[in-house]
Amino acid sequence: MQYDVIVIGSGPGGYICAIRCAQLGLKTAIIEKYKTLGGTCLNVGCIPSKALLDSSEHYYNASHTFAEHGIQLENLKVDLAQMIARKSEVVNQVCKGVEFLMKKNKIDVYQGLGSFVDKNTVKVTKEGGDIEMITSKNIVIATGSKPSSLPGVTIDKKRIITSTEALQLNEIPKHLIVIGAGVIGAELGSVYARIGAKVSFVEYASAMIPTMDATMGKELQRTVKKLGADFYFSHKVKTVENTGDEVIVTAENPKGELVTFTGDYCLMSVGRKPYTDGLALENAGLAADQRGKIEVDEHTLQTKVPNIYAIGDVIRGAMLAHKAEEEGVFVAETIVGQKPHINYLLIPNVVYTWPEVAGVGYTEDELKAKGIAYKTGSFPFKALGRARASMDIDGTVKVLAHKETDEILGAHIIGPRAADMIAEAVVAMEYRASAEDVSRMSHAHPTYTEAFKEACLAATGNRALNA
Amino acid sequence: MSQIEIKVPTVGESITEVTIGSWVKKDGDSVKRDEVICSLDSDKASFDVVSEADGVLRVKAQEGDVLPIGGLICVIETSVEVASAPASAPAPVTSTPAPVAVASVAPATAAKVVEMKVPTVGESVTEVTIASWNKKDGDTVQLDEVLCELESDKATFELPAEAAGVLRIVAEAGSTLSIGAVICKIEVGAGSAAAPAPVAEAPQSNGQVVSANASNDSYAAGHPSPAAAKILAEKGIDPASVAGSGVGGRLTKEDAIAAQPKAAPTATPVEQPKAPVAPPVAPAPAPKAADARGQRRVKMTSLRKTIARRLVAVKNETAMLTTFNEVDMKPIMDLRAKYKDKFKEKHGVGLGFMSFFTRACAVALQEFPVVNAFIDGDEVVYNDFSDISIAVSTERGLVVPVVRNAEKMTFSQIEKEIIRLAGLARDNKLTIDQMQGGTFTITNGGIFGSMLSTPIINAPQAAILGMHNIVERAVVVNGEIVIRPIMYVALSYDHRTIDGRDSVSFLVRVKQLLEDPTRLLLEV
Repeated sequence: MQYDVIVIGSGPGGYICAIRCAQLGLKTAIIEKYKTLGGTCLNVGCIPSKALLDSSEHYYNASHTFAEHGIQLENLKVDLAQMIARKSEVVNQVCKGVEFLMKKNKIDVYQGLGSFVDKNTVKVTKEGGDIEMITSKNIVIATGSKPSSLPGVTIDKKRIITSTEALQLNEIPKHLIVIGAGVIGAELGSVYARIGAKVSFVEYASAMIPTMDATMGKELQRTVKKLGADFYFSHKVKTVENTGDEVIVTAENPKGELVTFTGDYCLMSVGRKPYTDGLALENAGLAADQRGKIEVDEHTLQTKVPNIYAIGDVIRGAMLAHKAEEEGVFVAETIVGQKPHINYLLIPNVVYTWPEVAGVGYTEDELKAKGIAYKTGSFPFKALGRARASMDIDGTVKVLAHKETDEILGAHIIGPRAADMIAEAVVAMEYRASAEDVSRMSHAHPTYTEAFKEACLAATGNRALNA
Repeated sequence: MSQIEIKVPTVGESITEVTIGSWVKKDGDSVKRDEVICSLDSDKASFDVVSEADGVLRVKAQEGDVLPIGGLICVIETSVEVASAPASAPAPVTSTPAPVAVASVAPATAAKVVEMKVPTVGESVTEVTIASWNKKDGDTVQLDEVLCELESDKATFELPAEAAGVLRIVAEAGSTLSIGAVICKIEVGAGSAAAPAPVAEAPQSNGQVVSANASNDSYAAGHPSPAAAKILAEKGIDPASVAGSGVGGRLTKEDAIAAQPKAAPTATPVEQPKAPVAPPVAPAPAPKAADARGQRRVKMTSLRKTIARRLVAVKNETAMLTTFNEVDMKPIMDLRAKYKDKFKEKHGVGLGFMSFFTRACAVALQEFPVVNAFIDGDEVVYNDFSDISIAVSTERGLVVPVVRNAEKMTFSQIEKEIIRLAGLARDNKLTIDQMQGGTFTITNGGIFGSMLSTPIINAPQAAILGMHNIVERAVVVNGEIVIRPIMYVALSYDHRTIDGRDSVSFLVRVKQLLEDPTRLLLEV
């Protein structure tokens, strides 16, 4: 078959790219190695983890806050098998949805391992070993990433597990040791902490979610601590050993002493690495760099072979589903000669703990490092009527604005529905709104987004009305 | 506070003067090191001038001014306080004027009178005529507001106010003034407290005018919305050249849709509607009404003016003559049909006509060196190489990037080079170096449908080949009438150095090589 575009990988970057290509009138094919479409995000990432996060949050609220709401429950307990089954059903439905979208947009789906034969030809090796050759004018690499490990630590998928296994455990761990307190560790660690596991975070950096604004890390630690979690920061993990019924983690503490942690499960959440195995990049004249990333042109996302593009986790930038989606649309439009727009600074970062954490633009540390004169405005959720009514009083909104012009340079939110609220900051910043601009727009009352308005007021001239 | 003078850089050996194309920054703006502050046009290309330091811009030459190499463009006042901030900081410059400040600063220095004089507009210009006044005597004017239009024998340019205040006209419209003569005076301070008011921007709704951000000079002025950014990029329009109608001068999607590439860069910003109660949409450009017998006056760009001047100069200064011939394109078309796919597969570029013509000219130029030569004073300079300029039509006008050493290049190399240069031309990225030094030019009017034309020489070169479109003609071959695809070709040449024998023979040789391309291979 001859196509205009072949997309290799059906994650949020790949399948969105394929749909946009089809919308633009290109004859499009998509290749997926796994049985279901949707990639990491739908199958073993965003969607299933959010399903479990919500389930565990409901349980936590039922056991901790319902009584205060005046709701009495007896014999409350977790049915983990049902919780995992519901998660699987959610995943199943969402994947079916993607399949439907492929049909609707007349995109040919090839199930099998895609590998380059040359720069225009891809070989699809199906599960039974059958081979099919397809050719295309343009090829988009969207093969995503895999969980990575630490040197010397072998993931056995039984007791030493990654996020993938953590989404389908058949028992609640007694003591879950989470190596890495970044986004994935924080999310899955809090799932199991809520349903009764003892959780210990062992983190190399000196705070949680170290890539986000420092205030967010501190606040998040405070709320996760309430779930009974322990934190061991500035600890360098040396070995992880599965002894059969237990896992023993040895780490070096900040004083240089060796300390050991014993638990029944160890979750490796130290990041992800780009995944290009089996692609045979060399046949197309391409190669991944030392860190496994594929180099692309900053303005066009073209690899050094002009008709081959790469998007999402396999290229530079944050490993986020919505970043990959933007890039998928970007590449599709670029192929047909349009000149689309992506502002990488304005791609929000989100952690789906409860409270959620979301940030966009510069962090306070980045502004300091760049020598940009800025001012801050903060507003705590505990001063917000809506948050009081819902008993969601943890967290704060922090707005960073330019000292002279009042332009919003960064917004960082930890609080209920922060992931949704951050969109307001993105819209404002795409239009280069000032903090005063936002604070002069009407916000419905009572809502969580009022906290963003109040933080903007605070940034404008310390004029928050409800603080 | 110290000052750094930014002067016109040396931009290529044959260029002696440049025109200020457009200012990206305004007088008084804070600028960062390496930020683009204005663009310069020469007869060959446009290029950007970047700030050499962080500081406050003081414009010394206005848009349309012609400056010699080394002429003063502007001054950057670097403030000492800034020194404490790291270099990359986006200018937390303190010392100057956020636009709002203008009004409040003014009263403090009240009663000061600024005399505005005719600026130096190019070394050969000694006097200018006042074309029209945009403001009346006694009007309140803002800093940088256009006061009047001046005309010289070379160009027309606008005179922006050097201060905010009350205008006192000295020279009336129509009068001719020499460089340095006083045009008008501005009484700074007098009445300027009221100054910002008359601009009355027809705000979206009443009652919001108080906000400082309503000013069109906010930090975000000219910032395109995501959709606008995409539209402008696709049209190839620099957002800086579009006036934003959004809050604080932001560019809305509507602004982007209405924007025209390089049309009247700084047309006077919105003629003020008579009644201040004008509907909110007042500033819409809307020259849409299809049946109106309207006229539009769009100022020529500097590049267009230069092209115009040079073309006339070439006609006046050379003895230009054109000879014609016709080429039977069948052999080339057959060859292309046969090898088009293989060629594309092997080289990754299409096999076009241009490589045949470029090769044929390169070979013929070696055989008729006088066609490849140019006159320099009393001498004729012969070139042992064939650097062939290819005329490319862009939205800004005609540009002529050079394919160098065409005599040594293969067909695929020529095709790739032409694609590369044409791409740069379309994106406005050609450098002066890429456009100068050609020894002969090829122009293809055929792509627009021309059948016959007399191209004008690209001075100082001595000859130019004009290609045209291909039409089926009944011709006689071996005593039989057959239908063949024919292209008429024209060679315009400077008769001062090239005689008819050379020019005609040259063109015949090109014809031979095109009608039997194997001759290119066998060198016969």
